Amino acid sequence: MITVEGLKEYGANVEEGLARCMNNEAFYLKLVDKVLKDKGFEELRAAVEANDPDAAFEEAHKLKGVLANLALTPLCEPVNEMVELLRNRSEADYTQYLEKIEEKKRLLENML
Amino acid sequence: MSDFAYSKGLKRRILIVEDEEINREILGNMLQDDYAVSYAENGAQALEMLHEKKVRYSLILLDLLMPVMSGEELLGKIKADEMLSGIPVIVMTSEKPAEVSSIKHGADDFITKPYDSPEVIKARCERIIQLYEDKSIIRSAEKDELTGLFTREFFHEYVRQADDYDEISSDDAIVLNVEHFHMINEMFGRDMGDEILKKIANALMQIFGSGMYIGCRPDADYFYLYVDHRDSYDGLFTGLSDELEKYSHIPKIRIRAGVYQNVDKQISIDERFDHAKLACDRIRGDYTREVNFYSREMNDADLFHERLIHDIDDAIANRNLTVFYQPKYGIQSEKPELRSAEALIRWKHPELGMISPGEFIPLFESNGLIQKLDHYVWREAASQIRKWRDKFGVTVPVSVNVSRVDIYDPELENGLIEIIEESGINVSDLMLEITESAYADDAKGLTDVADKLRARGFKIEMDDFGTGYSSLNMITTIPIDVLKIDMSFIRNMNRDEKNRKLVELVMEIADFLKVPAVAEGVEDESQLEALKKMGCQLIQGYYFSKPVPPEDFEKFIKQEA
Repeated sequence: MITVEGLKEYGANVEEGLARCMNNEAFYLKLVDKVLKDKGFEELRAAVEANDPDAAFEEAHKLKGVLANLALTPLCEPVNEMVELLRNRSEADYTQYLEKIEEKKRLLENML
Repeated sequence: MSDFAYSKGLKRRILIVEDEEINREILGNMLQDDYAVSYAENGAQALEMLHEKKVRYSLILLDLLMPVMSGEELLGKIKADEMLSGIPVIVMTSEKPAEVSSIKHGADDFITKPYDSPEVIKARCERIIQLYEDKSIIRSAEKDELTGLFTREFFHEYVRQADDYDEISSDDAIVLNVEHFHMINEMFGRDMGDEILKKIANALMQIFGSGMYIGCRPDADYFYLYVDHRDSYDGLFTGLSDELEKYSHIPKIRIRAGVYQNVDKQISIDERFDHAKLACDRIRGDYTREVNFYSREMNDADLFHERLIHDIDDAIANRNLTVFYQPKYGIQSEKPELRSAEALIRWKHPELGMISPGEFIPLFESNGLIQKLDHYVWREAASQIRKWRDKFGVTVPVSVNVSRVDIYDPELENGLIEIIEESGINVSDLMLEITESAYADDAKGLTDVADKLRARGFKIEMDDFGTGYSSLNMITTIPIDVLKIDMSFIRNMNRDEKNRKLVELVMEIADFLKVPAVAEGVEDESQLEALKKMGCQLIQGYYFSKPVPPEDFEKFIKQEA
C-alpha cells in the first residue's frame, strides 16, 4: 500500500501534492494509485518505438502535467527531460529515457 | 449580486474541460465546495454541453492540449458564439507562449500547470466570475428608486441565476397590475400615485418574504414577481386592496394578478412573464376576480388571435371576408315595407372555417385593425347599393359601422366622400352607425365629428342604445338621426317588465328627439306587435331575415316591387 511516508521516502514533494488535493490524504493517494495505471506510459513507449515524435511528444506532455500536479518528482524529472527533447524533435536515444521512467515507476509500484 | 443565489443555497457552475482524468479530479476537488462542477474530456464534448440550454455555466476552465478538438479551437468557437461569448474562460497550460496567445484569443486569465495552490485557483475563478457578472449588469441601477424593487435588468439576471442554480424547483411567475392607475395619478396627483406604488411594493415584500421573492416594476403600474410555487393564491392580495383604500381614501383601488404556475424552465423568462401578463390582462375590468391563472387554452386563444391578425390582409385580398345584409322593415304601415339594410361582416377562413364576428371584431377593435375592416365594409356596401340601384332601379340605404378609431381619424370625412363618389351613390344612402358607448367616452369630440358628417349629408345612427350609460343631458344635445335600441332589451321585453319599460322609454326619447327608433333582434310576432304599439318605426331581426349574402337579399327587393 502506498503511504504518505513511503512517497516522502521516494522523493515526492508530498506537501505540494497534498496541498493541491486540499490536504486530503486518501484522495491524494488514490490519484497516485491511478496514475500508475495510466495507459499514457504504454502509449509513450509505443510512440517512441513506432518512431512517431509527434505522438510521443503529446503523450509525454500529458504525463508531465499529471505527474507534476501529483508532485511525483523522481518520475517527473525524466519525463520533463523527454518533453523538452521531443519539443524540438531532437535526435536522441529515447529508449534510455523510457527505461529511466519505467524504473522510477516500478519503485512506486513496488510500494503497492 | 450573489445574495439571492446564496440565500437559496445555490451554486454557480464551472465547466472543466481537460482530457486527463486525474487533473479533472484535482480541480474538481478544489472547486466542489464552492461551485457545482461539470466535466468534459475534449472540446467537442464541451461544446455540446455548452449548447445544452438547461444549464448555464459561470466559468470554463480550459486545457489547451486535447485530442478531438483542442482548447484553442474551442476558445475560438466560444468567443465567436453570441450565446457563449459571455462565459469567461480561464485556460490551463504549462506552456508560456500559449498563455500569451490564448489571452490574445479571448481567454480571460490562465492557470499554470502544475496547478498553483487551491487558494490561488479559487481566487482567480471567483474574480473572473465576479467581473463578468458585474459587467453584465453594471450599466443599470439595481433597484428601482421609488419602490426599492429590482429594476428590469437585475430582475432578469436574478431569475436567470435562480434557473441556473436550481433547475428542479417549482416557481411561479406573477404579474400584478393596478387597474386604472393613470386615473389615480390624474385625479389625486402623481405623489399619491407614487405612494400607492410604494405601498404595493412593501406589501408584496411582506407577502412573499424578502428571501424568497424577486420582484420588479417594469413599467408604470405593472409588478413582476418570481416566487416559489404555491398551490393557492386565495385571498393573497385581498388585504392589499383594503389597505390601499384605507391609506389613500380612494375607493376601489383594484389590484389584479395573473399567475403562471410551475413555469416551464425551457421557455425564456420573457415568455414566462408574457404568460402571466396574458392571464393578468384577461381579467381587466372583471371585478369578480382578483387572480387569474394562465392556462394552455389561454395561450391557444392568444395564438388564434395572432393568427387572425396575421391573416386579415389575405382575407381582404382573397375576399374571404364578405359583407352580409340584414333587412330593416318599416312596421307602421299596413304591410311591413323594406326600408334599408345593415351591413354585417362575415369571415370564412380557408383553413379555420367560419370565424364568429364576436371573436374577431373585439380583437380588431382593441388593436385598431378594425379600421381596415370598416373601410372594406364601407366600400363593399357602397358598391352594392349602386349595383342594386342599377339592377332594380331602387335605392336600399345601408348602415355601416363606424368604430371609435375611425372617428378620430382626420381623414374620415374625405375617405367616406371618396367612397360615395366612386360608387356614384348619394351621401345619405350610406348610413353611419356609432355605438352609444363611444358617445359616452368622449361626447364633445364625437359631437364635433358627427356635426361635420351631418353637415355633409350623412345620417348618423346611434347603435346599441341603452348599454352605454349616456347621461340624459348628453342625449338631448348629441346630433343623431336614428336611435337603435340594443337587442338585449328587445329579447327580454316580453318576459321582463323592466326591459319592456326600458324599450318604451327609448321610444319616448326617440319621439322627443324627433328621430325614428330601430329595434334590433326582433324574433317573433309578439315582439313585433308590442313594438308597433309603442310607436317603433323600424324593425330588424330574424323575424324578417337573418343577415344574408347580397344575392339572397335581392328577393326582398323583388318582393317590394
